[in-house]
Amino acid sequence: MNLSNGARESAAAQAAVSVKNVSMRYDDFYAVRDASFDVPKGKFLTILGPSGSGKTTLLRLIAGFGKPTSGEIFIGGQPVSAVPPHKRVIGMVFQKLALFPHMTAAQNVAFPLKMRRHDARTIADQVERYLELVKLGGFGSRRIHEMSGGQQQRVAIARALVFEPDLLLLDEPLAALDVKLREEMQLEFRRIQKELGVTTINVTHDQREAMVVSDEVIVMNDGLIQQRANPVTAYRTPQNAFVANFIGVTNFLEGPATSVSGNEVAFRCAGHELSGISVGSGPEIKAGMSCSGAIRAEQIRVAAAPEKLADLTFRFTGEIIDAIFEGERMVYEVNVAELGGVSFRVFDHDPIGHTQFLPGERVLVGWNPKDMHVFGNNHSPN
Amino acid sequence: MRNSRVAYPLTWRVMDMLENVCARIWPASLHRLLPYLMLLPAVVLVGLLVLGLFQIGDASLRVLDTSTFLFSEDYSLENYRQAITSGFFAVVASRSLMGSVIVTVITLLFALPYAYLMVRTQSSGLRKFLLVALFLPFFIGQVVRAYGWLIILGNQGMVNEALGLVGVPPVRLLYNYPAVLFGLIQYMLPFAVLMLAPALTAIPEELESAAGSLGANWVRTFRHIVLPLARPGLVGAGLVVMTLSLTDFAIPAILGGGSQDFIANAIYDQFFRTSNQGLGAALSLMLVAVGSIMVGVVFAVFGAGTLAMTGGRK
Repeated sequence: MNLSNGARESAAAQAAVSVKNVSMRYDDFYAVRDASFDVPKGKFLTILGPSGSGKTTLLRLIAGFGKPTSGEIFIGGQPVSAVPPHKRVIGMVFQKLALFPHMTAAQNVAFPLKMRRHDARTIADQVERYLELVKLGGFGSRRIHEMSGGQQQRVAIARALVFEPDLLLLDEPLAALDVKLREEMQLEFRRIQKELGVTTINVTHDQREAMVVSDEVIVMNDGLIQQRANPVTAYRTPQNAFVANFIGVTNFLEGPATSVSGNEVAFRCAGHELSGISVGSGPEIKAGMSCSGAIRAEQIRVAAAPEKLADLTFRFTGEIIDAIFEGERMVYEVNVAELGGVSFRVFDHDPIGHTQFLPGERVLVGWNPKDMHVFGNNHSPN
Repeated sequence: MRNSRVAYPLTWRVMDMLENVCARIWPASLHRLLPYLMLLPAVVLVGLLVLGLFQIGDASLRVLDTSTFLFSEDYSLENYRQAITSGFFAVVASRSLMGSVIVTVITLLFALPYAYLMVRTQSSGLRKFLLVALFLPFFIGQVVRAYGWLIILGNQGMVNEALGLVGVPPVRLLYNYPAVLFGLIQYMLPFAVLMLAPALTAIPEELESAAGSLGANWVRTFRHIVLPLARPGLVGAGLVVMTLSLTDFAIPAILGGGSQDFIANAIYDQFFRTSNQGLGAALSLMLVAVGSIMVGVVFAVFGAGTLAMTGGRK
């Protein structure tokens, strides 16, 4: 992550895809605003964002369906704005898969080879090889509508990869699947991507999927790239309140900053002096500036007796509003009257070992300042 | 119980009352008959036509005695023999058949891009314009439209006058075979577009994007994806255009000026000019047979499923 300038340039030179200052405007609405990033060869990058964040627009621009209003996209070092989709060597798995219903699975997989005028004698072997790669060996003669959702997914992947593209684009193909199948296919994408080493750009609104499959994550909102990091970094040190809110379950406390020393920020919330660390890329926080403290639901601990929270700096009393048993964890909603009646969501990841609280019970919640990230408030946390 | 009943809104009570009345008149035990009852009007209408067909079949077997102008009491195949062996009818039949095939092919060629543009265009203004342009001719009617072509294409018509301005002597644009075909194509185009549009709408645009990303240019995307998937619409539109133009009367009559008769015109002449109902009936039945065979052949080649009749099982 901490590349020197020279290293960064050489990384850009061998990047499979390089997006430079790309904007896409529809009338007076910017779907994508000044996006720049590189994808190194062989990496799995996920663009994560809510619907309307511009992530799909960006993907379709890379695929060649539309031309950026400004900026340029480079694939393998070559500018591609003037190259139509059928001349870009990009495999794409579409949201609704877009399999051809009048063809069999094998015909679907053979289609790109025929269109790209591969030697007719090698096509059948190549198709069979890729059907086996996606574990559909022997299913080639099936019609598309005779296959299950998961099998159709696999055909779509084989079709996108069979012509050995430099780049694989995934446009939320898993969104329509049920949870079990989606998780299975996520691992499958990862396995195939590692096996072939093909550079992949995935688009999703599912933060879990982004964490599971990707080497790196780009978080987008309102057409702007919010953060680019590997999944662990994005989760541990979100760059702004949007990322903190979008990835994971996060509680926010707001108030004016009272003092700043280094990356430690103190702020006042409902008469209490709280503190946290400032790691964001946003504006520098100065005393008096309105700011938000963000803390993950699993970084807050809940207990009945104060001595159990003795190791925590901040402790407040609250009342359990709701307690949901999710199996591997307990989710509490705690109303903290001392902090102006904010509601905290708190995870307890040991619901069997710990006491379970019931709605109406008075409890203590506590956390440490190192777990709270403070952001200056010019991006509203929503 | 009574109190809560009174509290019902008035509309509920009215609906309850109506339901009770309906239940008296049409008890639940008869509900199963309802779908059949609703089918009845259509069945009766088609059934009446079949009865007429028997009548025509009967007439086609009786020969007109030209001296007494009476029909023979006994049956014979004389009318059919005459229809088949007469050079005149052979010319009319081949003219109609060839005409309907040519009209079908050209109409589909013109209608497909029109329907495609109408379905796929991003601009709602263009789509509305295309739709209005499509429906406008429907409001005018076939005879008026044919007359319109007389005005435009006639010897003193707009086209010839325009040609006269640049010094070209008047050209005979009407009363020939191309004029009839031209009129038929113009008449059939809206039918074909209207039948193709739903078939093209049913093709997800993403399939075309996918074909593009898989390496197909637009020509190959059209050939390998759009055309095969639009086949039900193409076959349906083709059948409608072919049967309608095969049996058309007004366009050949008006734009052909009597020199370019189609089968329907020949039948009309037998029924209403020479009053030879027997021969007219024989020709009618042969037309029905030819039309049915054509539809049958199309079904045999492309399958009845192409009309989306088995769509549910796909």
